[in-house]
Amino acid sequence: MTAANFYAALAAAEHCTPGCSEKEDVWQLGRATLYRYRAIARPSGAAPLLIVYALVNRPYMMDLQEDRSLIRGLLAQGLDVYLIDWGYPDGADRFVTLADYIDGQLAGCVEHILEAHGLDALNMLGVCQGGVLSLCYSALHPRRVRNLVTMVTPVDFHTPADLLSKWVRKIDVAALVGDGNVSGDTLNQLFLSLMPFRLTQQKYVDLLAGSPDKARVENFMRVEQWIFDSPDQAGAAFREFVVWFYQENRLAQNRLEIAGRKVDLRSLRVPILNLIGKRDHLVPPQASIALQRLAGTGDYTALEFDLGHIGMYISARAQHEVPTAIARWLASR
Amino acid sequence: MQSDSWQQWQAYAALFTPGAPAPQAAAGGAPSSVPFADVAERFSAAARAYLDGATHASASSPSLNEAARAFSDHLRDIFADFQLPWSNASPGGGFGSASSAFSPNSPALGVSREHQQRWQRIADAGRRMDDAQRRLQRLGADALREAAAAFAVRLGPAPPPAVSPEALRKLYDTWIDCAEDAYARAAHSESFCNALAEYVNASSECRRDLQAGIEHSAKFFDLPTRSELNTLNLRVKSLEEELRAARDRKPEAAKTKAAKPKAAKPKTATSGAAASKAHPKRRKGKR
Repeated sequence: MTAANFYAALAAAEHCTPGCSEKEDVWQLGRATLYRYRAIARPSGAAPLLIVYALVNRPYMMDLQEDRSLIRGLLAQGLDVYLIDWGYPDGADRFVTLADYIDGQLAGCVEHILEAHGLDALNMLGVCQGGVLSLCYSALHPRRVRNLVTMVTPVDFHTPADLLSKWVRKIDVAALVGDGNVSGDTLNQLFLSLMPFRLTQQKYVDLLAGSPDKARVENFMRVEQWIFDSPDQAGAAFREFVVWFYQENRLAQNRLEIAGRKVDLRSLRVPILNLIGKRDHLVPPQASIALQRLAGTGDYTALEFDLGHIGMYISARAQHEVPTAIARWLASR
Repeated sequence: MQSDSWQQWQAYAALFTPGAPAPQAAAGGAPSSVPFADVAERFSAAARAYLDGATHASASSPSLNEAARAFSDHLRDIFADFQLPWSNASPGGGFGSASSAFSPNSPALGVSREHQQRWQRIADAGRRMDDAQRRLQRLGADALREAAAAFAVRLGPAPPPAVSPEALRKLYDTWIDCAEDAYARAAHSESFCNALAEYVNASSECRRDLQAGIEHSAKFFDLPTRSELNTLNLRVKSLEEELRAARDRKPEAAKTKAAKPKAAKPKTATSGAAASKAHPKRRKGKR
């Protein structure tokens, strides 16, 4: 295949947009929007599943395109799926704290869903940093969560393989953030720096060395868009997250407080399913595995996949295995 | 413009695409707007030279090892120009000589002492940024040297295959593996973490003092400053929280007061920690 085909395919894919499943916004608070996805299969009867995504990237990675959509996979299993989109913070959000996110926006979403369904508790799926927020929420509001699924979620931030943690430990985060927000561009640079040769060179060579068929190129462009579509981070929440979790490892050391209340993982009695990427360079497996010894639940299941961080959402293997594993685990509880 | 882009992509894609025309840009240098193309193009040229030369040597020939070593040394040189993502800014951000008017240790006296001190701090931070940047570059160069050595070992004594896109790809991927491994070892080291932290911390100090200078100028012209906006922002946030707390207290008080409980009126959710207690049927609580 010639380079002309590639150029044409890339140019044509320039405007392709991520997202494939139908959804409606059902609640909004601050920058956060709660979406409910339209069912595509017979309901399984399980309690609604609220997906809590990270603050540092956009949640459409969970529903990138039809054949690369964790959400679509969950819908196909008959689950009733909700998703929090944290939005794009701007300068007016610089003093929004983790307490605002966890006890305000996340808690508000949960209350809305419970009221709408007449339930006391729902199922929660926390992804990456969203998994950390989910753990905090579940520890603070244990009766609101029936089952908790964490996916590529760091719990112990001081494991030897955690490069991000090593880098930020001696950084004066208060000075870095000041009274402002942290730009998404800065975070992009940071994440690229973790594996610069692969992420700034090899992946483009891989693209060009493969077939320039439309679907493949569009898939690449959607992921590319997602990678660099990083929202600015609300300064106060960012500072708290880096200092409390990355620098002081408070969650693993049982020293974390949110809005003056202790977040004690030992109080987590809900069933937990922990999904781990064995080749995850952002959240090393050991950082996630720590949840087993720290959580108080007697019903803990860990599933390890031979995938990287992003592969856990969009790889072909993940499409088949991850939603099925979640649905089966929920159905058995 | 479109034509330029097209030529750049064509040149780059040709390096790794079987059957593609020879890269037109090779002779004139890589297209500058494709950041990774220059490195890949030079890699391709070196790899072709290595494969061509090594094909004519016998398996036991010492020239094979020499060819591998020459290739890996060449790679180290090529990638020495490679800019890590965080090092795009000019060293020291250009603040190392922020104020030649003040020597670093000259005492700050008189009416301009605050400004002099600020510029001295900026200059000092700029120097520390330069120093940290140099340490990072040195560590990066060391990593490339390690990568080149590991790559030479990986090439081994066996004669390489003939020049082909597949052979080039395999060499390229092997080189990337070696480079990432060596970089990871450096990046995890104490010295790298210290240098990176020093760079970031010094640049934060630089920005803080520059911002203070800009605020000072803004006040002179009675323009609103970031600090004033922040103060107002915090006041609004505090008022919102007080309002929500008051709303939360009201229904509770009504419940305890009334003999027969009445239905609580819908509450308005805005934002913040107390909002979760607000009425969930309020669909839009956006500020």
